[in-house]
Amino acid sequence: MIKNKNVRILAVAPLSRGLGYAVMEGLDGLVAHGNKVIIRDKNVRALAWVEKFIHFYQPDVLVLPDVNAPDTRRAPRIKTLHRKIVALAKKSQLKVRLISVTQVRAQLLGSVKGTKQALAEALAAKFPVELASRLPPKRRPWMSEDPRMDIFDAMGLAVVFWPKGK
Amino acid sequence: MKPLPNYLQTQRKRLSLSQEEVGFLLGITGMHKGDKVCRDEKFTRAPSLQDALAYQVIYGRPVRELFAGFYQQAEQDVAARAKLMNFRKVRKPDLRKQQALIHLAQKASVNPSNQ
Repeated sequence: MIKNKNVRILAVAPLSRGLGYAVMEGLDGLVAHGNKVIIRDKNVRALAWVEKFIHFYQPDVLVLPDVNAPDTRRAPRIKTLHRKIVALAKKSQLKVRLISVTQVRAQLLGSVKGTKQALAEALAAKFPVELASRLPPKRRPWMSEDPRMDIFDAMGLAVVFWPKGK
Repeated sequence: MKPLPNYLQTQRKRLSLSQEEVGFLLGITGMHKGDKVCRDEKFTRAPSLQDALAYQVIYGRPVRELFAGFYQQAEQDVAARAKLMNFRKVRKPDLRKQQALIHLAQKASVNPSNQ
């Protein structure tokens, strides 16, 4: 566990539409966040974006979702992309921290069960100035997931990275 | 952790302003007001003193906080020069000057953000 609060982290959540990212310096220092929707050559372009983020923000640690955790299911393409991002991080001499969805839910919702919407609302309440305006409306059964949800996936990883209560 | 050269984009997004709007507030005229702001945010251009002070007014944060990377660099450079100046032999040693130089030289090592 990294106890030093003087580190900059880049959390990346690779998803089916593209990726979400968040950059933090300490638990309350949200530097940047956003999502990139990628249409074609998804893995190549997503990897290019991650490389760009690493070059621009110069993080000390790269936080990624644990796609091989027993509670996680991911498409083969996402798993390949994940492996490529880890390789890129090693090439850039970055530390990599993998966080599972269960860890995110347990820390932010206080329970291993919960919806993505509840997670996003908890994060929006934690960072009202930055994230409240990005909170998508509740998804109805006939609706696809809002692309903005990628931001909250990355933010969840970034927030859970820091030791609890610090 | 080395701070980023500036945190202008973070502060702009906090206020949900566009680059065009910030450009207008900075007093940039012409068609592409946001271009200069974009270059400042991407670290490709170092803003003038007047622009830096205007950023402080717009975002309500001190310049040293907005341009943390530049500030740290300047602090380290001054500390290195102060150290050098302190070692120089002078005919009439001035205690106050010496104390000021020692204080400046120590500043870079004391500041936790530099570690």
